[in-house]
Amino acid sequence: MTDRHDPAAASPDHDDDAPMTPAEMLALSRRQEDRVEDFFQMPTTIIVLTWGVAWTVGFLALWSASDASPIAVPAGPAGAVFVILMVAGIIISGVVGMRTGAGVKGPQQVQARIYGITWALGCLAVPMLAGALFRAGMSAEVAALYFPAGYCIVVGILYLFGAALFSDRSMIVVGGWILSIGIVAPYFGTPGNYLVMALAGGGAFLVYGIVLLVARARRSAGARNRG
Amino acid sequence: MAELDPVIHAQARLRIMSTLAALGAEAQVSFPRLQQLLDMTAGNLSTHLRKLEDAGYVTVTKTHNDRTPATYAALSAPGRRAFEDYMTALRALLGEGS
Repeated sequence: MTDRHDPAAASPDHDDDAPMTPAEMLALSRRQEDRVEDFFQMPTTIIVLTWGVAWTVGFLALWSASDASPIAVPAGPAGAVFVILMVAGIIISGVVGMRTGAGVKGPQQVQARIYGITWALGCLAVPMLAGALFRAGMSAEVAALYFPAGYCIVVGILYLFGAALFSDRSMIVVGGWILSIGIVAPYFGTPGNYLVMALAGGGAFLVYGIVLLVARARRSAGARNRG
Repeated sequence: MAELDPVIHAQARLRIMSTLAALGAEAQVSFPRLQQLLDMTAGNLSTHLRKLEDAGYVTVTKTHNDRTPATYAALSAPGRRAFEDYMTALRALLGEGS
């Protein structure tokens, strides 16, 4: 991820033993701190945008297959699109998360690893519980309410857990919002809950991803002005 | 006015110290990851890491990850203090608070 190239930070190999003026040295240190922050922030942005697309398109596909939709999409392909997007989301999040964490060891990284494993376990808990509920007689209609709500509650709580772990206020907003959708969406019944999940759930991730991208652009613009 | 620590007051070493400080207390970072975060050549990074290690600011640990040798660098407690002192002195020179 060496996509950002400002001359002073990116090509330090010539004359890098020489000090610069105090103002330039302070700017150099801040640019480097931004670069480190950016390196660890970018994967979060990628993961958030991935889920934004997966939820928006996936739940819209499920909704399109219902009678409420103006366009009639067959249920088989719609379900397949949904499952493929969810699996792709899990794979992308896992790979990006692991690649970012590689090469750094320490207490913060241990916290991050536990947090990552909690995500995997939380997302696994939803279908595992569904298995037991199916055995107890859960119908397809009830399952259609259970799955989106279950994932929303897990993801919402994980975001709030992340907010506490990383002292990140933006995660409180996202976590609270996703948790609320998980609680509210089932009351719309099927297929209305799919639409709520696609627009309010996936939409929220997309907005959050764009907010992260804008913040990043502002940071690098600020770094250029300082340098 | 405080003298600026000559060990840190060089572009490459300030960037290394800033990176290690930004990674958090007690974080150890592998040589290739540090190289990537700094965009430095291996030779250049080694040279400057050695100077920081000689000053006691950085600890370099050689371990094995599944039999492949791996080198990790971390900021030492005196290194963290020296970096904070350097940044304070720098801000004082510029008339900045905090």
